[in-house]
Amino acid sequence: MSVTAVLHSEWIKVRSVRASLGSLLAVFAAMLAITLLVFATVDRAEVYNDGDPVFGAFYAINFAQIAAIAFGATAVSSEYAGGALRISLSAVPQRGLFYAAKTAVVAAAALCVGLTTAFATFFAGQALLGEEAIGLGEPGALRACVGAGIYLALMALFAAGLTFLLRSATAVLSLLIPFILIMSFMIGDIAGGAADYLPDHAGQHVLHQDPEGAVGPWTGLAVTALWTAAALLAGWEAVRRRDV
Amino acid sequence: MTSIEVTDLTKEYRTTRAVDRLTCRIEPGRVTGFLGPNGAGKSTTMRLVLGLDHPTSGTATIGGRPYPTLREPLRTVGALLDPQAAHGSRTARDHLRCLAVSNRIPGRRADEVLQETGLATVAHRRIRTFSLGMRQRLGIAAALLGDPSVLLLDEPANGLDPEGIVWIRQLLRRLAREGRTVLVSSHLMNETATFADHLVVLAGGRLLADVAMRAFIAQHSQARVHVRTGDPDRLRTTLLAHGYAVTGGDDGRCVVEGAGAERIGAVAAREGIPLLELADERASLEQAYLALTADKAEFAAAAPASPNTSQEV
Repeated sequence: MSVTAVLHSEWIKVRSVRASLGSLLAVFAAMLAITLLVFATVDRAEVYNDGDPVFGAFYAINFAQIAAIAFGATAVSSEYAGGALRISLSAVPQRGLFYAAKTAVVAAAALCVGLTTAFATFFAGQALLGEEAIGLGEPGALRACVGAGIYLALMALFAAGLTFLLRSATAVLSLLIPFILIMSFMIGDIAGGAADYLPDHAGQHVLHQDPEGAVGPWTGLAVTALWTAAALLAGWEAVRRRDV
Repeated sequence: MTSIEVTDLTKEYRTTRAVDRLTCRIEPGRVTGFLGPNGAGKSTTMRLVLGLDHPTSGTATIGGRPYPTLREPLRTVGALLDPQAAHGSRTARDHLRCLAVSNRIPGRRADEVLQETGLATVAHRRIRTFSLGMRQRLGIAAALLGDPSVLLLDEPANGLDPEGIVWIRQLLRRLAREGRTVLVSSHLMNETATFADHLVVLAGGRLLADVAMRAFIAQHSQARVHVRTGDPDRLRTTLLAHGYAVTGGDDGRCVVEGAGAERIGAVAAREGIPLLELADERASLEQAYLALTADKAEFAAAAPASPNTSQEV
């Protein structure tokens, strides 16, 4: 079978389902809107309250990553509505090809939107900060922009892998969102060292100008990539073995 | 010419054996009705043929090749499994486009099959707004998309209105006339009788019959003749003397069991009894099917039960 044809088909699937297209666009919209809102209203000193102007610029990633997770989850869960996967696998019966194409389309879409979002947010946010603004020349700024895009794509893929495993976006979202919103903060305060290796915390090191602790900016992103790889492998095992 | 070959196919779930050493061959150029009660294993067999379920043992191939090894399979095989399977949030056209693109089927085919199934006017509506009948038509459109030589349709007449049922009947006949292999599962006997040439009957996952429909009806139904005569008493006595069972007869009409019209007509002529009406009763597929399943009831009851129940004994 033609790989490009299958990729094209998967792309049509993503953009023709409102939930997945909507959450993909929400990554961009949420990050930009919240950054502008916060930077326009909050006292400037608070933006830099931990003295890291680069991390301050990416404050809104907490919201954007939820949209990214929703995108990864819904892009996959549309296959589990009714017997949709049966139709999909009748058209593309080589499950490896199907899985790789679906994953690649989610990855490419999330990475494009993630990078666009990261740079757009950085520039738009800094434009509001006047003389305290930083440019891409600021140490760590370019790294953080690229890293934020990759991070968002990894979170989308993490959710996609889990959704293949659990077959439900609802299950994945109700697992991941509380985890990210609550657990990370709690564990982060209690046991600093271990929290550095959680999928979201690890990857966010790349957003700091000077990451503290044992995990560096790129190694942190690599840790998130390992989590993502594990989720995708688990998802693949489920797709390969299951009857549909 | 592509046929479906099923060889010694078995599918076990945790507690049940859904398909039990099934061997059959679905030939091209005719409509094969796939019959059996709910849970007989019809849908499971179809999923196994499509490579969606993994068989416990045995093989199912299409034109000698397992489905997953087909290049661009929608061009060879079209399947309708579940009309609810299309994602409600997509439009009908987008649904068909996803499928067409993956198998490099030209985009105009999507419009052609929408036209053919009477969905052209709702092509851009979201599938969740469709009635069951419209979803069924969309499923048939998807099956026809790649102009396949093999079609597997699971209960295609479900939810169709009377016009839709006439339409699907003609469609199935035409597809078979064009030399395609058409397998249609159903539990509606009278409906199946209107389009099937050949029958494969399952019960409890096992093959009960694999036979031409006319032969099946002849095999599993009693010959029976309706007679009207001017001289009922003499006819009755004569027929009883020849060993036929006769019922009714007060108003000159009676029913003779165990013989065809030629035999009864010949007997009456020889005796010079005037016959006013003489007609073979045409047994229905439903009667034949029920006769077969009654014959096999004992056999079905003797089939191994689930491991759980046997442990509990």
